[in-house]
Amino acid sequence: MSRSGVSVRLAFAILLLALVPALLAWAGSPYFGRLAQVVLVAIVLTGALNLLTGTAGLLALDTVVFYGLGAYTAAILSVNAGTSFLVDVAAAVVLTSIVGAICGFALVRLTSIFFAVATMALAISFHTTVLNWGDLTRGPMGYRGIPPVRLFGHAVGGWLESYYVTALFCLIALFIMHRVMHSFYGNAVRAIREDEECALSLGLRTRLMRVQVYTLHAAIMGAAGVLYAHSNQFIGPDNFVMFESALVLTGVIVGGIGSLPGAVIGGIVMVLLPEALREIGNLRALAFGIVLFLSILLLPRGLFSEVRALALFRRDMPNSPWSRRRRVP
Amino acid sequence: MIDTFVLSQLAIGVSVGMTYSIVAIGLTLIYRVLSAVNFAHGEVYTIGAFTTLIGATALKLPLWAIVPLVLLVGAAFGWGIERAAFRPFRKFTDEASLKSRAVREATLLSSFALGLVVREILDQVYHGEWLAIPQEYLLSNPVSFGGIHLSAGELAIGVVSVVMLACLQFMLHRTRIGIAIRAVSSNLIGAQFSGIDINRVVVAVFIVGSLLGAVAGMVVSLAYGNVQSFMGLTVVIKAFVAMVIGGLTSLPGAVIAGILIGVAEATAGIFLPSAWTEMVAYAMLLLTLLFLPQGLFARRRA
Repeated sequence: MSRSGVSVRLAFAILLLALVPALLAWAGSPYFGRLAQVVLVAIVLTGALNLLTGTAGLLALDTVVFYGLGAYTAAILSVNAGTSFLVDVAAAVVLTSIVGAICGFALVRLTSIFFAVATMALAISFHTTVLNWGDLTRGPMGYRGIPPVRLFGHAVGGWLESYYVTALFCLIALFIMHRVMHSFYGNAVRAIREDEECALSLGLRTRLMRVQVYTLHAAIMGAAGVLYAHSNQFIGPDNFVMFESALVLTGVIVGGIGSLPGAVIGGIVMVLLPEALREIGNLRALAFGIVLFLSILLLPRGLFSEVRALALFRRDMPNSPWSRRRRVP
Repeated sequence: MIDTFVLSQLAIGVSVGMTYSIVAIGLTLIYRVLSAVNFAHGEVYTIGAFTTLIGATALKLPLWAIVPLVLLVGAAFGWGIERAAFRPFRKFTDEASLKSRAVREATLLSSFALGLVVREILDQVYHGEWLAIPQEYLLSNPVSFGGIHLSAGELAIGVVSVVMLACLQFMLHRTRIGIAIRAVSSNLIGAQFSGIDINRVVVAVFIVGSLLGAVAGMVVSLAYGNVQSFMGLTVVIKAFVAMVIGGLTSLPGAVIAGILIGVAEATAGIFLPSAWTEMVAYAMLLLTLLFLPQGLFARRRA
């Protein structure tokens, strides 16, 4: 059942690597280049949270913990030790994986609202720690003058080059999440979400798999944090308040819980909506509350629902065993 | 030997803990009926404090007139939360769909969003500043007995809390609607067969919980004299912690756990810088969820 030649993944890669830069070059202002990078980082965050909240069904408000951990790792290492971008990414991924595995091990036995509140407590604790551990995090001052991305001894300058770094990173992250979600493993995680006892009876190690998903989402968010720190060149505790977590969760819900295209749409909406509202004033949070509320009420499945996303990728991957159509005798 | 400074700190801790208890009762009542968490509950507390502020500054009402105003606004706000964030998701009243995971998570998010909207509106209107209640309304006279030094406001928090708890007990055990609330929370289907209107009970629970929350906001604002749009957020999270430690469905459990948190924070405040005392409640939450997921006072798992 495949329409040959049409690949959503290829089309998206072309869009990200050719069309958007062309459009940005045509617009020719660094503002749009910067905005595009923020959108790409947001897409990675909504995608990673979607893995946890959508595929694994765990409503989480802890985005800022791992995102912040990654960003602070990058800031501390590159300002104090002058490390390069790839070293920062590696360090952040290792650190957030370890912290994510520990937190995940503790948290995954909770479900639904208790998981949500426990992760919220985690997020607020993280903010308090960052704010008060002045020796390490410079407290409310934050880190200024984080050097821009350095790759293989070459300083990435100009908005086009840094756009390409971010876009490539975003594509890699999306590819990883895509392969995890649209596989037998992803199906197993969905099975745990739908009915844990049933999945357990089928031999799935439910708790272990939840810890794995939690760790993976933490690691991707940590890497996104590194990218954010290097592209923004300034981070402070205000970037990692609990509200930012709620924002990413809003993106996931508006886009469509459990669908990767939905997460991409959600990430775009999440960044561009407040930019469009900037003229009116500081109504970002208010707009998000209203959007979240209306979205739950009127569009509970989001703009691009999980069922549509799964159908799309089944058609897109006709030769993988995951999408093979089996006839039931 | 325990010196009087420590005793005074502990007494203040009890009084702060009682506000957590009162807010936690609202959450617990709602959890008992709907198995859902009302994340907009903190805004009830904020609204209570802001009503006090508006009554004292803009309307220049005397203190005795502010109390009924706060009660009225609190009740109306509770009704509004139910109407906007919970009613639209309650399409059927059978137990399975009333307490289904989809409905619980949808109402969690919708009430979270509603709370966010209210908080941001207040933030926009008052520019997120700490606003002061006029001096003549403040309950700041020092009170001391047996070497324990408190302000009148801190004592008032304790007294008002005890009075409200007594009223709540009276309502739950002696009035028709109170008995209906208990019936629904103990056996939903049985209550429905006895002709109890679930929607009425849910509305009543929201109104009662919000009355308590709004009065807590009022007393705290009168005791400490400061009002801010984000004041409810930390309180509601601590109230949630109290509810979890208290065993989710137990009202005495929530009260005792709330006081426990207040005392723990006060104790930590003696040894730690004040910025870190925030973490005490969250640490308690994580420890409880990990080691005592049933809570301290759970009678049965709802």
